[in-house]
Amino acid sequence: MLNVEHIGKTYPNGVRALEGISFSVEPGEIVAVVGGSGCGKSTLLRAISGLDQPSQGRVLLDGEPIISPHEKIGIVFQEPRLLPWLTVADNVAFGLTDRPASRRQHRAAAALFRVGLNEKARMWPRELSGGQAQRVAIARALVPQPEVLLLDEPFSALDAFTRIDLQDHLLDLWNDRRPMMVLVTHDVDEAIVLADRIMVMRSHPGRIFEEIPADLQRPRDRHSAAFDHVKARVLMALDRSLAGERVPEQLEHPGTGSAMWW
Amino acid sequence: MSLVQMSVAVEEVPAEQKRPRSALARYARPALGIVLPLTLALGWELAVRAGISNGRLVPPPSRIYEEFAELARTGELTRHVVATLLRVAVGFGVGTVIGTVLGAIAGYSTLVRRLVDPSLQGLRAVPSIAWIPLFILWLGIFETSKVALIAVGVFFPIYLGVMGAVMSVDRKIVEVGRAFRLSGPQMVRRILLPAVLPAYVIALRSGLGLGWMFVIAAEFMGASEGLGYLLIDGQQLGKPAEIVAAILAFAVIGKATDWLIVGVAAPFLRWEDRFARGTEA
Repeated sequence: MLNVEHIGKTYPNGVRALEGISFSVEPGEIVAVVGGSGCGKSTLLRAISGLDQPSQGRVLLDGEPIISPHEKIGIVFQEPRLLPWLTVADNVAFGLTDRPASRRQHRAAAALFRVGLNEKARMWPRELSGGQAQRVAIARALVPQPEVLLLDEPFSALDAFTRIDLQDHLLDLWNDRRPMMVLVTHDVDEAIVLADRIMVMRSHPGRIFEEIPADLQRPRDRHSAAFDHVKARVLMALDRSLAGERVPEQLEHPGTGSAMWW
Repeated sequence: MSLVQMSVAVEEVPAEQKRPRSALARYARPALGIVLPLTLALGWELAVRAGISNGRLVPPPSRIYEEFAELARTGELTRHVVATLLRVAVGFGVGTVIGTVLGAIAGYSTLVRRLVDPSLQGLRAVPSIAWIPLFILWLGIFETSKVALIAVGVFFPIYLGVMGAVMSVDRKIVEVGRAFRLSGPQMVRRILLPAVLPAYVIALRSGLGLGWMFVIAAEFMGASEGLGYLLIDGQQLGKPAEIVAAILAFAVIGKATDWLIVGVAAPFLRWEDRFARGTEA
């Protein structure tokens, strides 16, 4: 079980990025964090991963405090971040420490087969498409069999078709060992397709605004009424979370369209 | 996808395929570069043969070849080439080691960079030839001062190249290493070294280029052997063929050592996504 306890993050320049964020993720659960850009979603994920330290609060994985990157936590970034000097197979094997090397290669090959890219094993990352590269990145994160997989807007740079394809693919992979997943995204559909629970954040400072359960049957139909119902709830929550910020923004430009200042 | 898009996609396929190059095209293009020098050389040879010029100050190719053959026969050529190669090798080695170490530290540590870099940049502004008198005073007229001068010339491009390369390593890639809990030495070996390698090869090549430049300067300041000595000797004895022969030897050896670096590094750089990928195997 993953516990996030009263996490806050204040940057050295005094900007408060996160404040009082608490939630927990049950084994086998997928939690999505949605919110407008700059609301601190990624900061939260980096704090959970141990890449950055929170200013207040702590993160516990099965009771163990996470203060630096942990072997039981895997992370997928927005960009694939493959190492360009390693072949696709070596990239997948990057996080493995098994000896001898043949065992590493064997595990990496199996993981690559699982994401359907075994034919690309000997290629360089530059020879992959964006979607393929992100699949390799997911394989690299999953092959050490983490208990927690963190995803930071993993599909936001991809086109719509590839994105939907990879969302289904990710769920399929998740089903193998069912790690806990925390997914940060600004795509509401993506959050509802993947997550059991959706947390809507608001910004300045980043806080959890509302928690919405998405206990739909899997596999989820993107066009069902139940899906739309959850989507409406999330969108309304997002709207309200932004409401406090949008009003002054409108006041700033009272007569937009009628007369330009230049 | 509309029909129009599909037909476009179909048409694109043949363009994607690699064009099979004919043997003629493959050899004709590099050969094109030889046409101009060959024509000039041949023209000059004919001009001298025909008596249009006596070719005393600008020797025709045949006389340069004779000079080469003579130098090679007597073993002079080998002696001078070996002497010059040795100086460049030692100077390049020393300059590379110091430049790499200092460049890596300055790139890695902001404190060291602030401490050391301004002074080094100041020294870099001094034309390196200006060190010659001082080096001769300090290190004597023989090998040490020559090697030191070459090392100074080699040092700067390598120091700058390594520092810049270390500083520009992608933070996002380094973070991948952190996420997988690499130790300090592992981070250097698995992330930093490979990331820096392409820029390092370029730094080595420009360092070597300067090394060849400075060996001539070093040998001009008084040497009893070496290709630079051969140049001076040719000037003083009025033997332009010897000078041109020495220049040609410089060109050949300089290019060959450059190829050596490129060739040794090539297997490690196959992953690079380069703009120019002309001679891919």
